[in-house]
Amino acid sequence: MRTGDDHQLVARVVSAQDTAAFGELVRRHQSQVRNFLRKLTGDIATADDLSQDCFMHAWDKLQTFSGRGSFIGWLLKVAYTTFLQSKRKSKRYVEILEQAGHATEMNGPGYSVQHDEVTDLDKFLAVLTDQERAIMVMSYACGLSHREISDATSMPVGSVKSVIFRGKEKIRTSFDIKDHQHG
Amino acid sequence: MTSKIINMAETIKDAEDRFLETMFASAPIADDGFSVAVVRKVRRGLWLRRLAVPVAALIGGVIAFKPLAGLVAAVVSLSSLLPQELLSATTTLIPQAQFIVLGAMLLVACLLGVRSLEE
Repeated sequence: MRTGDDHQLVARVVSAQDTAAFGELVRRHQSQVRNFLRKLTGDIATADDLSQDCFMHAWDKLQTFSGRGSFIGWLLKVAYTTFLQSKRKSKRYVEILEQAGHATEMNGPGYSVQHDEVTDLDKFLAVLTDQERAIMVMSYACGLSHREISDATSMPVGSVKSVIFRGKEKIRTSFDIKDHQHG
Repeated sequence: MTSKIINMAETIKDAEDRFLETMFASAPIADDGFSVAVVRKVRRGLWLRRLAVPVAALIGGVIAFKPLAGLVAAVVSLSSLLPQELLSATTTLIPQAQFIVLGAMLLVACLLGVRSLEE
């Protein structure tokens, strides 16, 4: 049940540290955030851990939400930042292990599917870089506008459009999909 | 006008866009206690933060007690070096000086306690 719009709930959280209002925000948006991170990481467990971290960061930074634009756009920005931070940490971890002379079998920065069933979407996502994947998912799975994606990724709108164009081009060439011949 | 055209261009979707939207679409994920777990974590963090300042003050007080007692003893022993006239003049001027200092310290402690309770 929707007891008020997102902005009212955010106001309640910021002014009175209302955890019940925050719980309502989490309930409303957990599906989109978890779906976004699952598509970014390719692993359900990692994505769900990152989603929890994302909401914890959101709780800490909620006063920075200006109210301009949608709350889900802001939340996906937090989710993307959380993903990049975790990526940097695991990269640094691998570097330390390598410096210490340990062989590592960890996956690189690329996307790797950690579940049994590999779907067409998994194949599509695997040919994209992290940035392309994030932007394509924001655009096609989450329905964010180019302006909202620009805010979420701190990139100019023109660059967002060219990343989407490049992503589509990669998918098209990798899977031999002809223009306007789908469906 | 230009921004309207740009917005219109963004909303016009070709077959490829529609195909990608279908490909990227996924079923909503059931909450299954996720939001409850997040809120529990948030509440735990809040309590830890509220407890952190009083606990840190208590630990700091315990650690600082011995050196402070030594400092007070040193100051008292130094006071014997001061001229007797000066000491008697001070006690005449402010006979309740030690009680005033003690009261001020208690007031500050009470104010801090009330503030943390309010939070």
